[in-house]
Amino acid sequence: MAEPVSAAAVAEFLYREARLLDSRKFGEWLDLFCEDAVFWAPAVGMDGAHTTIPELSLNFIYIVGRAGLEARVFRVESGGSLASNPLPQTRHLVTNVTVDSDGPGEVAAFANTQVVAFCEARGQQILNGSYEYVLRKENGRLRIARKKILLLEYVIDGYFDFFTI
Amino acid sequence: MVTNGVRPNRRGFADYIDDRPGDGVFRVDRAIYNDPDVLEAEYRNIFEANWVFLCHEAHVRNPGDYFATHIGRQPVFVVRKPDGGLGCYLNACGHRGATLVTARTGNTKGFVCPYHGFCFDTAGKCTAVSAPKTGWTEAHFDMADYDLTPVARLDSYRGLVFGSLAADVPELRDHLGAATALIDIFVAPAPQELEIVAGFSIYQTACNWKIMHENGPDAYHAPVVHNNFAQAVNFREKRESRSGVARTDTGRLTGRIESASYDLGNGHTAFWHKRPNPEAFPIYAQKAELEKQFTPGRVEWILGRGRHMTIFPNLLLNDLASTHLRCYRPLSVDRMETMIWCIAPAGEPPELRAARLRKFEDFFLPSGMATPDDVAVAESAQKASFAFNSKWTSMGRGIDFKIDGPDAAARELGMAPRASSNSWDHEIAMQGVYRRWLQMMERGEEHRRG
Ligand code: FES
Ligand SMILES: [Fe+2]
Repeated sequence: MAEPVSAAAVAEFLYREARLLDSRKFGEWLDLFCEDAVFWAPAVGMDGAHTTIPELSLNFIYIVGRAGLEARVFRVESGGSLASNPLPQTRHLVTNVTVDSDGPGEVAAFANTQVVAFCEARGQQILNGSYEYVLRKENGRLRIARKKILLLEYVIDGYFDFFTI
Repeated sequence: MVTNGVRPNRRGFADYIDDRPGDGVFRVDRAIYNDPDVLEAEYRNIFEANWVFLCHEAHVRNPGDYFATHIGRQPVFVVRKPDGGLGCYLNACGHRGATLVTARTGNTKGFVCPYHGFCFDTAGKCTAVSAPKTGWTEAHFDMADYDLTPVARLDSYRGLVFGSLAADVPELRDHLGAATALIDIFVAPAPQELEIVAGFSIYQTACNWKIMHENGPDAYHAPVVHNNFAQAVNFREKRESRSGVARTDTGRLTGRIESASYDLGNGHTAFWHKRPNPEAFPIYAQKAELEKQFTPGRVEWILGRGRHMTIFPNLLLNDLASTHLRCYRPLSVDRMETMIWCIAPAGEPPELRAARLRKFEDFFLPSGMATPDDVAVAESAQKASFAFNSKWTSMGRGIDFKIDGPDAAARELGMAPRASSNSWDHEIAMQGVYRRWLQMMERGEEHRRG
């Protein structure tokens, strides 16, 4: 039976994740995810409400299994994607961290986020949203079993990727 | 916005197009992408003078369903009337012009203006005004004065709803012309109706609308711009050992394959490519059914070929990575908006629907692994359009291989394009777009001069 996790420990974990993204240590960032991790950013319906059934509706990003995330990292690091070359610089501002539930194997957590991205070609982009995490307790450390990103903006200027939300 | 400070003196719109097929030349003056006066004229002579795509019938399926959009600059909304017919009206209140329909979509019995409360029915009639007796004498009050203004023409083909602000346009079927044969097989795979899958995307791109419109019929860019997509997907599939419909057919991006492209006339374009792995597509599950229903040639068109078409000036339909509808709108000379939906047979089994959607998300959307690169390259072309000392954009590729009229594949479908070519990476379809552009611009200006 795993120990309960403090809100401070969860916040620390989320800050560290954000810092890995901002410093483009994508390999280390991927290590935070379980092999069967879900990475989900729902799209919206015509009424502006987020879609709710990821399998059967349209999502901005819906990845089941870490290999899908690895492919995204592979692409932006390949140098072949004009949109990701040079990679926009980012700063993730993660706030309002709360632990929603703490079970024997998993912790559910919430946070708000603002991500500022900059590249010379497109200037500054700010995307806001909230994160809903399921963190799994594995050998005394936390890993991401599920990261859901609810974006505030749905009329998108340009484009975005896993590391700019 | 950067304006064109050194706009050369042009005699007319013909100066933007250097069309000399005999010399193997087709070129477009890049100022066509950055001159605000050109956009003004396009609104007038193209968007507001002919049929434009509005929405899919599935967006307004039930009585009272409405869908707010634009024709060129002008806000309009489409609504399903109680008798099952469609109405489309300018989205401006008949009183003092507040936006009448403020949500993108919804369902209503009638419309109440948010400003002074005038009421309108789905036939566009004004049905009530606030306190009429204390505001007008009977002699000067006629409720009909406030009726909404309908668009001049409204029609649909195979579920695609089009409207025109000008009355003197051909029948929609004639406007679509050769494109109808391809629209038919876009629909044919579904014995059921097509539906718009829940969720959509809307994104703005810092380029002239024509740069994105050209990117559609341009398959020449795919192996360059989207090679990284193919590599990333192949990496993932190897890692996950995917099979069947869960796989993605990237063969079209990495090898030379059989293909063709078409100038469909009226500025519409199409291309197809042979699918190296047809079994990776959800439609493949209907193979036996399709073979019973259609000739082998038609079945090959449906199962064996990725298909793409653009309907001038604002619609893109394709079944390449996944089935989708895309609608364009210029916002200013160097900014445009794209709306995109996934379209699929209603009642499709969940595993096939999920596979279709995942392919869609992989490639399209501003968060996909391909569309961002299209956007980036389109925005870079917008910036380079100011290189006035190197003013010609070349679209001559394939001129020497052009076939007048249909090729063998088009004949199989009963499709009558103006011209065909034996490769999807030729630019002859784009030439058709600009010839149509010029024809409409010149015709419109002539009309204006009387
Ligand atoms: S503007 Fe609509 S009621 Fe006055
Ligand atoms: Fe592309």
